[in-house]
Amino acid sequence: MEKPHNNNRTRLEEERAQAEALFSSLGDGAIATDQFGKITRINSVALELLGYSASELIGEWFPRRIIALTEKGAPINLIDRPITQAFLTGKPVNEKTFYQTKDGHRLPVSISVSPILLANKPLGAIEVFRDITLEEEIDRMKSEFISLASHQLRTPLSAIKTYSHMLADGYMGDVTAPQKKSLRTIISATNRMNELISTLLNITRIESGTIAITPKILQLDKAAEEVIKDLSLAASEKSIRLTLKKIGQTSTRVKTDNLIVKEVISNLISNAIKYTSDEGTVRVEVRGRARDVIVGVHDNGWGIPASAHDQVFSKFFRATNIVKRETTGTGLGLYLVKGLLDRLGGTIWFESVEGKGTTFYFTLPKAAAKVRLKV
Amino acid sequence: MANILIVEDDKDLNNAYTIILNKEGYTVESAFDGQEALDKLTSFKPQLILLDLLMPIMGGLEFLKQFNLKNHPDVKVLIFTNMENSPEVTEAYSLGAHRCIIKSWTAPHNLARVITDALESKPAKPAKDLSQNKA
Repeated sequence: MEKPHNNNRTRLEEERAQAEALFSSLGDGAIATDQFGKITRINSVALELLGYSASELIGEWFPRRIIALTEKGAPINLIDRPITQAFLTGKPVNEKTFYQTKDGHRLPVSISVSPILLANKPLGAIEVFRDITLEEEIDRMKSEFISLASHQLRTPLSAIKTYSHMLADGYMGDVTAPQKKSLRTIISATNRMNELISTLLNITRIESGTIAITPKILQLDKAAEEVIKDLSLAASEKSIRLTLKKIGQTSTRVKTDNLIVKEVISNLISNAIKYTSDEGTVRVEVRGRARDVIVGVHDNGWGIPASAHDQVFSKFFRATNIVKRETTGTGLGLYLVKGLLDRLGGTIWFESVEGKGTTFYFTLPKAAAKVRLKV
Repeated sequence: MANILIVEDDKDLNNAYTIILNKEGYTVESAFDGQEALDKLTSFKPQLILLDLLMPIMGGLEFLKQFNLKNHPDVKVLIFTNMENSPEVTEAYSLGAHRCIIKSWTAPHNLARVITDALESKPAKPAKDLSQNKA
């Protein structure tokens, strides 16, 4: 019979061998560090991906030896490195970043760093990472496809719409009233198809998580002004008065994604125009506050029935009073707006009285949304 | 009446805009890509260019870079595209485009009006009073 301490040693050795085998056989790159961030162990996949030999990395300080880069190729500050964040917060950190290989190549990687804690004190960390070159390429191709599809689908629609208008407006000779009515139907169907294309493409982007957020400083009232410029024609087709006002003196500067925020504003104003009678009014007001900026889109349109208030942001939802009057909605616009604002760290709500009008409000924080830690 | 150069690769749309703008009394020339537009500009002097962005051979952005609006302060460029809210539109503005119009939203009478407004406005002056855009 073996003595107990021999038994314990054997078990410890077995566990160590198992851990070693697990570490070495991982299909992804794996790096272990001590509590100071010095590399204690690295598997063969990590060595192959980074182009180093084990002797070049063991004992080295991880953040200094393995350089992480931003998308533009600049080195990432120590404080923003996932391993630092893992040590500071004591929690696992998942992130996408770029590693510089030994030969200077920029390798896109998805990484997961977990601190090893004993009685809340870090003993070290383990980072697992994998090469996502192929995924990045597929993402890029998908974005390109979406952009191209959007353009290509709309080009024939533009021709249908333009020629239908030309026929209806008498560019090709006189048309009878019934012919004109038929042409108006064609035009309204092409408008609907256009909206569907935009909305579906945007929803595909947001649901698949491929919507890219590039925060930069912008003034929300200026962004609204640009959107209104684009939509002034749609408003004028219904003789709707569309105005913009900046309220108060507080800055309306936010750090957010310019294109996404314009998509949000554009959807809210388009809705206001669509669900307001001819010669109505749509007012956009932007007010800077201490920590955020609030935008209100007011209309004196048909309003949302009280019974429908809790479903307004649901996918494919359309209010009963609207379905009877306006057949061109998709029930996707506000679902999209809500999804986009969630991604930007914003909030949205509304006030509405049926027959009087609706105001949609949204806010965006002045600091950039922390969708994920800096890459 | 002013001279207008239409740069649009889709033949149906190019033809439609020509009919609409001829009827408004403008003198119109057509090009089907950016390179053809640059060639036409050696002899045709427009006050306004209606420019598509995505075109074969040379797209609208490359055309704007080569034409360089800084050297032509009397020419206005209206971007006519279906890529709303896109980085391409933002770049077109930074290259001096006067305004961007979404093709699939724009009826002929509105196109004519936007062109009249653009021709009457002073260079690089953004439309502050938005209610003026009403029909």
